[in-house]
Amino acid sequence: MVTEFGLRLAISLTQIGAVMCIVVITVLILTLAERKVLGWMQDRMGPMEVGPYGILQPFADAIKLFFKEDIVPAGANKFIFTMAPILCLIPTFIGFAVIPWGPNWTFEINGIVVKPFVISDINIGILYILAFASLAAYGIILGGWASNSKYSLLGGLRSAAQVISYELNVGLSIVGVLILAGSLSLVKITDAQTGWFWNWHIFALPAPQIFAFVVYVISVVAETNRVPFDLPEAESELVAGFFTEYSGLRFAFFFLAEYANMVLVSCVASALFLGGWNAPYPGTLMELVGLSSWSWIESTMWFAIKTYSLLFLFFWLRATLPRLRYDQLMRFGWKVLLPIALANIVVTAIAVFIYQRI
Amino acid sequence: MRSTPTTKRLSLSEWFKTITFYEILVGMKATLSHLINYRPVTLQYPHEKRTLPDNYRGMLALLRYDDGTEKCVGCDLCEAACPSRVIRVVSAEVPGEPTKRYSKEYYMDMTRCLFCGMCVDACPVDALGMTREFEWAVYDKRQLHLNKQQLLAIGDRSFPVREKRLELQHPNVAFFNVAFSHVPPKPN
Repeated sequence: MVTEFGLRLAISLTQIGAVMCIVVITVLILTLAERKVLGWMQDRMGPMEVGPYGILQPFADAIKLFFKEDIVPAGANKFIFTMAPILCLIPTFIGFAVIPWGPNWTFEINGIVVKPFVISDINIGILYILAFASLAAYGIILGGWASNSKYSLLGGLRSAAQVISYELNVGLSIVGVLILAGSLSLVKITDAQTGWFWNWHIFALPAPQIFAFVVYVISVVAETNRVPFDLPEAESELVAGFFTEYSGLRFAFFFLAEYANMVLVSCVASALFLGGWNAPYPGTLMELVGLSSWSWIESTMWFAIKTYSLLFLFFWLRATLPRLRYDQLMRFGWKVLLPIALANIVVTAIAVFIYQRI
Repeated sequence: MRSTPTTKRLSLSEWFKTITFYEILVGMKATLSHLINYRPVTLQYPHEKRTLPDNYRGMLALLRYDDGTEKCVGCDLCEAACPSRVIRVVSAEVPGEPTKRYSKEYYMDMTRCLFCGMCVDACPVDALGMTREFEWAVYDKRQLHLNKQQLLAIGDRSFPVREKRLELQHPNVAFFNVAFSHVPPKPN
């Protein structure tokens, strides 16, 4: 028994370590890619100094943040001030536990069934992600409050209102997919989209979720506090929003949490709407050439391509759009996106009902 | 907040543009076209420098004639012309040559200089020049308080080709501030 527990623990820790590495590396790539893509879109070059074409810039940034002085402002609630970045970071990383990175394979080690491409396939995967994503808002609000600074507090309050309003839309836009797939597990939802690309839930009959996808993308842009919904950290209004007073490693935690959250929502979007690790054609090319044991590489590559395309969309929007006004943000969220998401649920439910009767 | 709701009826095409985010897509097309036709206007400054225009007004310098004597005659006109009071000249007779003057001390406070070039225009003997140096960032601003030796050194490194003395340039050139051998030296 002890050995079985130890083996399970070792396998889980290996998977967690691998996923953490992938996520952190992705975040490192993203910090550079964002500056580069923004630069290219604005006829600039982006970082060019550290390493050839600036590719070592993320490491320079990390080292700089690591060695910066860690300042706690006077009058700050030191405990909450310290906890807030961690509270922001951990829920984001926890969400990656249920993301299926590759095909739903299993293999056995000493009688223990291991799924190599998902850390834990729990049957309420998407609810679990939504629940923990909501917890990250606490980190932002408490960080803003504990800083004892008016800009931080304003940023935190804005973030609270914005994240709560737009999380509703995220939750409701997902419901259509859940009706189509008939499951809350991300593994099962992804498995339901195998075959040609018109089986992906964004195009799938009987109710294509294209509106839900648009609502989801807009809402997660707002939920991750990215341009054009970056009101919680609006540079021109609130110095840096909720992390105005943060420096050094704690600021790095907030930064990491924001980018990891971007990666998480992109992964969820590609798993729910864009077929996850499924290629746009049935099966994989690796199987056709007889390398079926290596087909997981192709599957994970498709997942990576979909996720990175969505992340590119984040940068693209940032390069294009100016920031919304606060009343516009709220009106858009409650009066436009929420009715669309609700109507999508109704239409999807009716369509699925009729489809099952035929 | 608007007091009266100004809802006007959208035409079908306007309505279609609204629901398809047409304006946003136009903007995104513009940014994407810049990404695809990537032509940066950036100059990687310390590694590559732009070509300066011919009349570039950079660091000021004091010049010499080709025999190594200073051009400056200590007339103070540059000091008078300077709008920012950068220049301070202490004029004196050349020891042993009473008809000839020179600047005994010459100071420039480059922290105040606005590089207008009026001192260069004012100089009757072209003793001042504007070099093409512009990288004069220093850690201590007192290093920008230059004396005569430093200014002459800047001139030496920036203007390697020197003019002949005025009286040797052309027979018709008017010249002054020249020592005459028939004038006896002043008793000192």
